[in-house]
Parts: sequence; C-alpha cells; structure tokens
Amino acid sequence: MYLDLYIFAALLVLGFFFGRLAEKRHFKSILDREQKYRQLLTFSGRLLPPGMDSADAELVGGSVVISIDYFKRIAAGLRSIVGGRVTSYESLLERARREAVLRMKEAAIAKGATMVVNVKLETSSITKGKGQQIGCVEVYAYGTALSPILA
Amino acid sequence: MTKYENRVIPEGINVSEEHPLKEFLVLVFGLGAITALVVLLLSFAAGWLVHFIPFSLEKSLATSSFATNNTNDVVLTKEQYEIEGYLQLLANKLSVAQNLPEDMEVVVHYVDSDTINAFATIGGNIIMYRGLVEALPHENALAMLLSHEIAHIKQRAPIVSLGRGVAVGLALASISGFGDSSMSHQLIGNVGLLTSLTFSRDQEEQADVEALQTLKNYYGHALGAESLFETLSKGDYALKPPKLLSTHPITEDRINRVRRFNEGNIGRASYKPLPDFLIQVAEGFD
Repeated sequence: MYLDLYIFAALLVLGFFFGRLAEKRHFKSILDREQKYRQLLTFSGRLLPPGMDSADAELVGGSVVISIDYFKRIAAGLRSIVGGRVTSYESLLERARREAVLRMKEAAIAKGATMVVNVKLETSSITKGKGQQIGCVEVYAYGTALSPILA
Repeated sequence: MTKYENRVIPEGINVSEEHPLKEFLVLVFGLGAITALVVLLLSFAAGWLVHFIPFSLEKSLATSSFATNNTNDVVLTKEQYEIEGYLQLLANKLSVAQNLPEDMEVVVHYVDSDTINAFATIGGNIIMYRGLVEALPHENALAMLLSHEIAHIKQRAPIVSLGRGVAVGLALASISGFGDSSMSHQLIGNVGLLTSLTFSRDQEEQADVEALQTLKNYYGHALGAESLFETLSKGDYALKPPKLLSTHPITEDRINRVRRFNEGNIGRASYKPLPDFLIQVAEGFD
C-alpha cells in the first residue's frame, strides 16, 4: 500500500545523494583539468592568429552526454510550474559544456596542437520520453586544432 | 602584436551557489500549500453548492446510473428478499429516529457478496453486503451501521463527494498539466488526495455522531454500537494505514467515541438479537 509513494521518496533521496556526489566530483575534475590544459589556447574566432598561418590545421572535437538525477528532474518539473531559473538544468549544461571543451582539448593535445580556433558548441537533449521529459543532454565541442610545423 | 591568451573565467556565473534542497523545499511546500488551498476552497464550495441540488434531482441521477449498474438486475432468492425487506424496515424506523427530512427516502439494496462492507450512494441508496451483515453480532450493531449510512444520506455526503471529486479532479489536472514531469503530477495528486481524505474523515466522524444519537432515540441507548467497528477492523481493514492516509477515522478513536457517548447512559440496557433467518444465513455460510 502506498508503494508508489515510498518508491518515489526512495528515488528522490537516492537521486539527491548520488547526483550531488557525481556533480561535486565532476566539477573538481573539470577544474583540475582546465588548469592542466591552460597552455592550449582556444578561440571562437574564425581567422588564424598572426604567425599561425603555416601551422597544420585539423578538425578536433569532444562530445559528452550527461544525465540529470531523479531529484533534479523533479525539482525542474516543479520549477516549470511557477517559472524562474531552472538551476538544476543550469549546472547540468555547465558541466556538459566544460567537459566537452576539455575533451576537445585532450584530442587537440594528442595531435600536438598548441591552439584551437573556430571553436563551436552544439547542444541537444537526448531523451524526450513520456511527457517530453528532458533526461540527458549531449554537448559537442569542435574546432580547428593548429599544430606548429617543426622545421 | 596583440597578445593572445585565455583568461581564467570566474566561477559561479552559470551555476547557482544556493543549496538545491533549499529551492526544492520552497517549491514543494509552496506548491503543496497552493494545491491544498485550491482543494480546500473547491471542497467547501462543492459542499455548499450541493444544497442547491434538490434531492429529487439526485434521485433521478441515481436511477439512471443504477440502470447501467448491475445491482438491480441480480435476482435475489426468497431468503435474500426477506433479509432485504427486514433491512429496509429497520432503515425506515431508523430514518424516523434520525429525523430524516420528509422528501428524503432511503432504499436498501442487499448484495450477495462476501465483501465486508456497506456504503451509501447517491439518491438515498444504501448497499449492504452479505459479508458484513452476517458478521455483525446483534441488531444494535446493524442499526449502528444503517444509521451511519442514513446519516451520510442526511448529510448529502454521496452527492457532495461526487461534486467534490469532479471539481477537485479537474482543478488538479489543470494545475499539474503545466509541469513537464509526470512525478510532479503525482506529487500534486498526492497533496490533493491527502486534503480530500481530511474531508472524508470529517464526514465519517459526523456520521458516527449522528448515528449514535439515532440509536439513542431508537433504543434509548447506544449499547453495542462499538461492535460494528470491532467487526470492521477484523475484516477488510486488517491492514491499517496511518490516519493521514485513511478515508475513515481510526477504529480505536471510533470505539472510544462510542464509549464516551455511552458513559453513565446505558443502565440495564441489553442487546437485541438479530432475527432467526439472518442468523441461519450466517451459520449456513460458515
């Protein structure tokens, strides 16, 4: 009896603790790696910076798919009734964008690049299940990696 | 030459530092309070408006729904007709003892089923299941049951619940329709349900009080009324949900109310046995 209520409460608690733990760890890892790859410069500009016109150019990209937890989904659902900043989705997208850029940077570093120009981001929501619920998002970051040609 | 660099972007621009639980609790309690308020207002409105529906209209409404329901089509045996007649007679006497308004009329339907239950429905119809009737130890408990159901009809409880159900259901569907998560629908639905259950418990308590007074008018005392609740608690309701989640008040509270009512009131009163044909039915099914 009232099993649905208990399941709901259990999922909410599980979602809250695991989701928060995952988010904390992820942000820590993002900050660490951003620091580590600071030497690799990224720009959204399309034109090559001066002095780079003789570099090797190659497409690099990084994509990530992140799901929000049950707790955040409920919080976002409630928020959608009254309106306002959907903070649970904000942190989800922030994580996804930064992670995608980091993965793109990792790909660029693997190619020996020192700079990525024309960086662009694409975002799409993946699960659109019952009632058009947003479950997880994909963010794809891509750009042109420039590797100096060693004489 | 311009120097190209990536400056460190300060943290916390896109992500709120506020604890997620804080926002969640504000939303849950805020929306919960709004939902409860809407349900309360609509429930009061339904209870008030229903008095503008004449009983005759309610009766014609019931006749059309009873025609589609099978209850009336089932042919009772001779013995069952006898029981139904006896129940109807007792209900008529109790209606008088309860001062049921002239234009209201109670019709008892006896249903041959093991279900330990009885209920009043629109149009003054009372459904009595064999399971409960044969489980009751004496006429006093049966009279308590009938008086309780007649009290519901006097309160217009069935039609109030019907109107309330439609109004509240519609409102909840509209509120939760704005959200995009099915679980937030459930949350709102549950708050609505809990609020409606409060009304249901209030109605039951009022019916208990009215029924006790009826027994006093009829027998001169309300001895044996508690047997009804004892029988019910042994039956289908063996699995007891907490009070907040119940449609009915909890059994101990109901029995205690009977005891308080009877304090210093009983004297040398005694139980009135059930007629023989009812006892035979009960024994025949053991």
